[in-house]
Amino acid sequence: MLKRILLCDDEVHILRAAEFKLKRAGYDVQTAGDGQEAWEAIEVQKPDILITDCQMPRLDGIGLVRRLREHAETRDLPVLMLTAKGFELSHEDLTEELGIVAVIAKPFSPRELRQRVDAVLQTDEATSR
Amino acid sequence: MMAAVALVLAAAIIITIASGMLAGHGSWPFRLGVLGGGLAIAGGLVILCVYRKSQNFKAVERCFEALCKVNPRDLHGDGTTGDVPPLPACGPWSGAVEQVRDTILELCRQVQDLEHASTAAQIRSRRVAAESDQIKWIFSELADPILAVDNYDELLLANHTAEDLFQIDANGAESRLLSELVQCQKLVDLLTSTSRRKTCGNRTDEIEITDEQGQSHWYRVTATKLLGSDETDNQEHDDQGDSSDAAAAGASGSGGAVAVLRDIGDQKALQKRNAEFVSAVSHEMKTPLAGIKAYVEMLVDGDAEDEETQEEFLDVINSQADRLQRLIDNMLNLARIEAGVVNVSKQPQSLNELLEEALHVVQPAAEAKQIELLGDLSPMYLGVLADRDMLLQAAINLLSNAIKYTAGGGRVALRSRMVDNQARFEVQDTGVGLSEEDAQRVFEKFYRVKKDKTMASGTGLGLPLAKHIVEDVHGGQLTVESALGEGSAFAAIIPSAGQLDA
Repeated sequence: MLKRILLCDDEVHILRAAEFKLKRAGYDVQTAGDGQEAWEAIEVQKPDILITDCQMPRLDGIGLVRRLREHAETRDLPVLMLTAKGFELSHEDLTEELGIVAVIAKPFSPRELRQRVDAVLQTDEATSR
Repeated sequence: MMAAVALVLAAAIIITIASGMLAGHGSWPFRLGVLGGGLAIAGGLVILCVYRKSQNFKAVERCFEALCKVNPRDLHGDGTTGDVPPLPACGPWSGAVEQVRDTILELCRQVQDLEHASTAAQIRSRRVAAESDQIKWIFSELADPILAVDNYDELLLANHTAEDLFQIDANGAESRLLSELVQCQKLVDLLTSTSRRKTCGNRTDEIEITDEQGQSHWYRVTATKLLGSDETDNQEHDDQGDSSDAAAAGASGSGGAVAVLRDIGDQKALQKRNAEFVSAVSHEMKTPLAGIKAYVEMLVDGDAEDEETQEEFLDVINSQADRLQRLIDNMLNLARIEAGVVNVSKQPQSLNELLEEALHVVQPAAEAKQIELLGDLSPMYLGVLADRDMLLQAAINLLSNAIKYTAGGGRVALRSRMVDNQARFEVQDTGVGLSEEDAQRVFEKFYRVKKDKTMASGTGLGLPLAKHIVEDVHGGQLTVESALGEGSAFAAIIPSAGQLDA
């Protein structure tokens, strides 16, 4: 079965680039324009991984991840953060506290993003076996 | 006096006896005649003597009368008398009277000296009191809070602002101990440690003080050690002398210290805004850059197989490069206008043409958010004398601001009209609107409406730059009318080309 990825970013072209690259890599990709939209999508169907921006309208990335961690079903959902505010998230305590598997700084390489996603989902698969 | 009367009586008796002896040789009538003559002479002498005495008495009396009238104020500075009449001669008493006179004059002079000294002292004391009042008044009215402690760490002085800031009741407080009057431990420590220092000189620190409403204020506190008056003398003396003596004088210090607090809230706010600005600018630059890099990499990797996708990628790269350029232009232009080093080339322009172009530039952003972008331009030719690039940027900034803060499905309208012989354009949106305070501050550099910060990214540069361009560069006027939740309307008036030529 195709692994499902939820992409969340308020910049349409970033969303489109990541979606394009990951779809080509054979993933089922869904997109959301802000944290609130992503939360609603997750409530409907939990993805295998969430890739989210940090600064977004309505509900920002940090708020979204906090909310995910508060709920039993989404507590262990792997999260990749894709943000232009790299240095503010380089604080390990926050990434650790929120259980963010990796922080990718913008500008980012779609190739690297794909590799990261591959790695996360493969180890995920390995542990679940 | 008695001696003179005795002398005259003796003379009269001698004359009588002598006349009696002379008369011993003559007949009784003769004798009696001589005796009578002698008595008469004696009597005459007595009368003469008494008359002269009385004259002398009168002279003495006049002397004393004159002396009585001596007014100390009439004396000249050198001790000579002014209106004091010269004393008449008064015979054997002259010496005594003169002595009395000299004594009186001397006393008068002394009284006069004392009066002078007393007046001078009064004037001095009044001046000192006035100066002291003035200093106290100036001190209490100083805008910067000031606190002084003595060497027992007790509060010596606090001006009004300090009393207000720390809620010190100058008279009512039971304890004068600074640590009990002032809650801010850092300030207390600074003052007491400065007071105990061996050497003079200032110490400064930035201290955050929370007032009773719970609001925090930042102050730069300068604490100076107070030297006792002896020490100050020593210090002044030592300034010309050996510097090691100066240190010794300081080391003997009794102490006390004064702290002047300068509000650096504005500075702190500016620092914070600058930091936020740098953060916002880096975010704003990284976002289009991220697009460019991502799509370039995918093109290089051959991810875009068909021509249509390649074209789409190139379009994104192009639009993101434009976006980056606009941001850089905004920043540079604002910096240039503020520094006054901008090159403005104003040419007669068609305002409508310029606005059409602005609409074209922001169209994709409006479409992405599904916002209806409405162009309602005047059918008349609106000629303005303008720097094309700058005015275009101002119009784009106003439009993209409206698109940013209008929710999807909303409407942004651009209108142009000729009003009172002036070209006017207006950008009206159905967006979130501005509170009264925000409407006043929205043209401030880096200012961003707090509650709307998450709605869209931005640097807080677009509107201030638009205002600079419309007002400072073109001599026009840019105003905003808005109400929370009811959208905003930004209206720009640009003097028309003909008007400026005239």
